[in-house]
Amino acid sequence: MVLCAAPLAAGEPASPKLPPLPVVERPAPAKPAVGLSDDRHLDKDPPRTTKGLDLVKLGWTYNCMECHRLLEAKWHYDRPMAEHQDIRLAHGENRFCLNCHHPTNRNAFVDYDGSVIPEKEVVRLCAKCHGPTYRDWKAGVHGRLNGHWDTAAGPRTQLRCIQCHDPHAPKFPTMKPLPPPTYPPRAAHAPTTSAGIHPTPQGGTAH
Amino acid sequence: MNPPTPGDGGSQTVEQAARPLTRRTFLKGSAASALGIAAMAAALKPLLALERENLSVDAFLQKHYQELTPQELRRILDRLESECEQSRGIRPDIRDIRPREDTEFAYALNIGRCIGCRKCAHACIRENNQSRESDDDINMSYIRVLEMEKGGIDLETSDHYYDADQVPRAGKFYMPVQCQQCREAPCTKVCPVKATWQEDDGLVVVDYNWCIGCRYCMAACPYDARRFNYSRPKLSPDQINPCQSYLSNRLRPKGVVEKCTFCLHRTREGKYPACLEVCPTGARIFGNIRDPGSEINYILKNKRVYVLKEDVGTRPRFYYFFDK
Repeated sequence: MVLCAAPLAAGEPASPKLPPLPVVERPAPAKPAVGLSDDRHLDKDPPRTTKGLDLVKLGWTYNCMECHRLLEAKWHYDRPMAEHQDIRLAHGENRFCLNCHHPTNRNAFVDYDGSVIPEKEVVRLCAKCHGPTYRDWKAGVHGRLNGHWDTAAGPRTQLRCIQCHDPHAPKFPTMKPLPPPTYPPRAAHAPTTSAGIHPTPQGGTAH
Repeated sequence: MNPPTPGDGGSQTVEQAARPLTRRTFLKGSAASALGIAAMAAALKPLLALERENLSVDAFLQKHYQELTPQELRRILDRLESECEQSRGIRPDIRDIRPREDTEFAYALNIGRCIGCRKCAHACIRENNQSRESDDDINMSYIRVLEMEKGGIDLETSDHYYDADQVPRAGKFYMPVQCQQCREAPCTKVCPVKATWQEDDGLVVVDYNWCIGCRYCMAACPYDARRFNYSRPKLSPDQINPCQSYLSNRLRPKGVVEKCTFCLHRTREGKYPACLEVCPTGARIFGNIRDPGSEINYILKNKRVYVLKEDVGTRPRFYYFFDK
């Protein structure tokens, strides 16, 4: 698993009897295309890239039923989920797996009446609770549209809920901002000595 | 003073006028013509100086954008393309894209969603070919992201130099400011040479070849939306976006003012502006305000929008709103 391989690869002194595990390089899973292909100079990554798909990164197919055919569905688990270490559940009061996941078909989600919502139509699942947001999303003002505002001139892509929000912790994580503009050198610091009146490109004053 | 020679003055005898060419008269004549050539050269000297600063006589004698015939404009675009190829090593595709019929652009920005990540400001310089010392230099970006204390919109204590480890910071909110494409744009009224004007789709544009660099427009703008090229723009060939247009993102000469045009080379072709394309939270909404089904019209009908500095009477086409 990825959790075992990472510390060894980082050079932690392992037991002398055990040879270090080989580090397996795997390409990141392909992300769905967003926007136009000639806008390569623009970074259009949604905030949630591949979080929550660690098993896919390890080479698993995304058929949840490979395991869950045997593992029964429970409403509540009284221990941390050892099998899904990457899941951090912070979705407010919505904290039971089967609120969203289908009890017998783990590849899909559950509707009000217990019927199946396929994974591709995940928006319908979120709309069960987030009605006003769903209404805005359908109007194109929640979430981002990419490509053409004038659909007669060309295609456009619309991001779906879980491309931006991690469904288990939907609040956006904080992120590192890109670098700020530089402070005007002459205004950065008032010169303190009579000699220090020459501004430097770094924004301070030369002495 | 030389003593007056016979022959100067109004009354000339026939003998004097018809006298043969002597060595003395020849020297006098050639001295005068040499003086004339020197004066001519002195008069043309500013033009030659212009040539040395990469401004051709053609560019110097160019007419205002709105007075150009299509043929003249084609020639100018070709010239600009080859000048750029000569000086920068990359041949851009400079087009002249006119406003679309029945289109008026407007922008809305959701303050409740903006997290202050500055991706829009950085996308702006990648799209619009602003001068930059490094890839991270956004001093010439058309977008300033203001960080403010929650509880009010106090521009005087806002900070756009914030350098946080993580955004959004507790107790702060963020408001990106760029050109508001005002309906009553003060910048176009103060321009002494009419180098900046409002197009039919509402975009305020600059003819960089007509601008004299007086910066009156920068003083008139209440939103700090304009930037001045104090030096020749610094750009390496790999930083240049070759998809350009005359009124928006072509490379600017030294000494002219530039501004946000809602990426008109993109938006007039039906695409979204670059700042919207990169916004990670979807806080930016753009569209045609005259289309009743557009997203921007949905915002104006259903959300409580406000405009920045409403009291100065500029009637912006840029709206802010708070929403989840």
